[in-house]
Amino acid sequence: MLGLFDNDYDADGFRTCSVTGLNIHRSAENMVKLYGLTSVVALLVGGIFAFFVAMTRWEAIGLVSPNDFYKFTSIHAWNLLIFWMIFMEIAILYVGGPFVLGRKLALENVAKVAYGVMVAGALLVNYAIWTTEQPNQAPLLTSYVPLPSSADFYLGVVVFLVGALVAALPFLATIWKEKREKPDATLPLIAFGAFICSIVAAEAIVGGLITFVPTYFWRIGVIEHLDPAWYRQMYWIVGHGTQQINLLAMITVWYFMTHVVGGAVVASEKVSRTAFILYLFFINMGAAHHLMSDPGVSSAWRVWNTSYAAYGAVIASMIHAFAIPAGLEVGRRARNEGGGTFGWLWSAPWKDPGFSSTILSIIMFGFLGGITGVMMGQMQLNMTWHNTLATPGHFHATVVLGTTLAFMGLLYYVIRLLFGKDWVAKPLATIQPYLYGGAMGLVCLMMMYLGVLYGVPRRHPSVMDIPGTAFDFSAAKPLFAIFGVSAILAIVGGGLFLALALGALFLGDDYEGEAAPTGAGPIVAADGGGGTGETPAETDSAGDDAEAAETAEDDDDGGLAAHAFSMRGTFLLTLVFFVTFVVMYALNWYLLSQLWTIGG
Amino acid sequence: MRSPLDAPEGDWWSEEVNRRETIWLGITGGWAAVLFGWMAGWTQIGDQNPTGPTERISPERYQEKVTAYKEEAEDAEDGLIPPGEDVFIGAMRYNWDGLPAVLEAGKTYKFHIGSYDVQHGFSIRKGDTLSKQMSLQVLPEYEWVVEMEFDEPGTYHVVCNEFCGVGHRTMHGAFTVRE
Repeated sequence: MLGLFDNDYDADGFRTCSVTGLNIHRSAENMVKLYGLTSVVALLVGGIFAFFVAMTRWEAIGLVSPNDFYKFTSIHAWNLLIFWMIFMEIAILYVGGPFVLGRKLALENVAKVAYGVMVAGALLVNYAIWTTEQPNQAPLLTSYVPLPSSADFYLGVVVFLVGALVAALPFLATIWKEKREKPDATLPLIAFGAFICSIVAAEAIVGGLITFVPTYFWRIGVIEHLDPAWYRQMYWIVGHGTQQINLLAMITVWYFMTHVVGGAVVASEKVSRTAFILYLFFINMGAAHHLMSDPGVSSAWRVWNTSYAAYGAVIASMIHAFAIPAGLEVGRRARNEGGGTFGWLWSAPWKDPGFSSTILSIIMFGFLGGITGVMMGQMQLNMTWHNTLATPGHFHATVVLGTTLAFMGLLYYVIRLLFGKDWVAKPLATIQPYLYGGAMGLVCLMMMYLGVLYGVPRRHPSVMDIPGTAFDFSAAKPLFAIFGVSAILAIVGGGLFLALALGALFLGDDYEGEAAPTGAGPIVAADGGGGTGETPAETDSAGDDAEAAETAEDDDDGGLAAHAFSMRGTFLLTLVFFVTFVVMYALNWYLLSQLWTIGG
Repeated sequence: MRSPLDAPEGDWWSEEVNRRETIWLGITGGWAAVLFGWMAGWTQIGDQNPTGPTERISPERYQEKVTAYKEEAEDAEDGLIPPGEDVFIGAMRYNWDGLPAVLEAGKTYKFHIGSYDVQHGFSIRKGDTLSKQMSLQVLPEYEWVVEMEFDEPGTYHVVCNEFCGVGHRTMHGAFTVRE
């Protein structure tokens, strides 16, 4: 199709990637391209609707009517939060499994069928939302029972979820075959991350089926009654669970991209893998924070589920927040790319959009998305965030600044390494992540301020004029103006990404993989400095940075263990993060303590 | 030193962890304990907790209770003056039944919140200080009783912040707190 699926493979269907050194089989590569391209279509649709949603909430523009606003927001939400993400995540599973392990994609035909089912489900959901008629209401993302949405909507969701579940099978079968052949071998870290991601995904999707199958039968009248509290609890298994697929896929992409583009190594296999295991056991309970201000669950249930469980996942995220920059720091120090405390960072390929997207994603996810997620997950603080505009502020920080930016960074390299096309308009490609990330960062901050400091509700097409009362939120107008202008810039940045991606696919020169990624010095084939460095350094020179760096100069082939290199740059950065976390936490509690007395 | 794309060989589990990474692990563990301790502790010492007894009740029965309460309450110019410590509020598309109300500052009220139809969001803010705001979820079939005591007189506005249908944005109510 348009030459997009041609690559030169050997007789067995494999080719070797000139940059990553991965052995890639045609079966896996074609599916990655197919799912990846489809996800970009969903990004385009969702992005167009983002413009209408943002320009309605910025009431100086007030683009669409209240009725249409809910419909447009629903389409925006489903295409970006679900379809863009999950199509991309299936592609990431096929990279993390078959690509990394150098295997064929097992059950390729199953992947094709699953793709068809997912597309059918996605189309049906979009159709059902677009044709919503009274008494049905636009579902938004949540379709809370007993507010009815179109029966086709629930059916579309079920079809899509079944497709996504089936699409994970070829990945799992590939892992199973690998383990059958090499029962004693450890999976590479990227494959391990993808594997944990697939389990979390399966949990989320099964939860979604348990929710939406009965809801469909309720809507068509087979089941008479659904308990709204039951629905909320079950819905959030998939509603938040899908966002946890995003998180795990994003973190796996962070490890992958910092390695491929920045030359990162694994700072500690044990620590990083333990963090993934913590996610496996604990992150599903993160969904409980949606019920913090609910009547249907006891306070003991709420405190328990947002403490023992969610903090297992919070610890995991904080571990990755150290491990990933530390891997970059060690990898670059080992190649003598920048000394001092932050030289490894200054010398990094900041002009490379694959690299800058990844790093911006890490920083902004942590500072804006991660910290705020923990705030909302505290039972009492949740009252000041619940259903205000701060809630979408939080999840745009996680899903847009975090996941979408990371996926864009990955796609820059999918274009080069899978489609074999070089980027067009490179100066624009350099700017794109900063424009998109910077503007979107402001959008998120404004939404959080509007929500927490002004109590502006989410899901409202107009708050400057509330029919039937003199009360309104006009005090918030200046912040809405910053929000609106930033949103326009962010959408321009997103549009620029799509233009650059399509431009590269259809107009780009062939990419040979010989040139180094922009600014990355001698690292072309990011093989991580060799895989033979299992011998720990004789002495614990972690505290003796100069010595470690000198040793590294003489030995760039992995003779030194990662832990022996200094991680002081990363340590300082994570301390800044920690102090920010503590200050934000204290401020939020202060704000809450100023309220009237609530609760016995 | 190892690539995340390569399978680690040998006893990678026993490899040493960098000293600073170890310190960071300690910080994260300690911080998680603080997060839990503070939240759990606030339920004992704090004044703002989204807690109170919940009962299952049919929407029809709840509406009857609100109606009975309204008949008993004194109908003042600014709204209903609750006959006792209970304040009943029924959320319905697109109105807050039982509001407006007039409350006394410094008195502890039991707010009963429930819905006659779909899910709603009970979101209160002080009229002249918008940052003083909080929200509770309202579900049909559940009556939630949450105590509240207001020290500052003024007008408190209630908006619905859970999507409840096309008229959602018009769903507004208020109560006044007097000295």
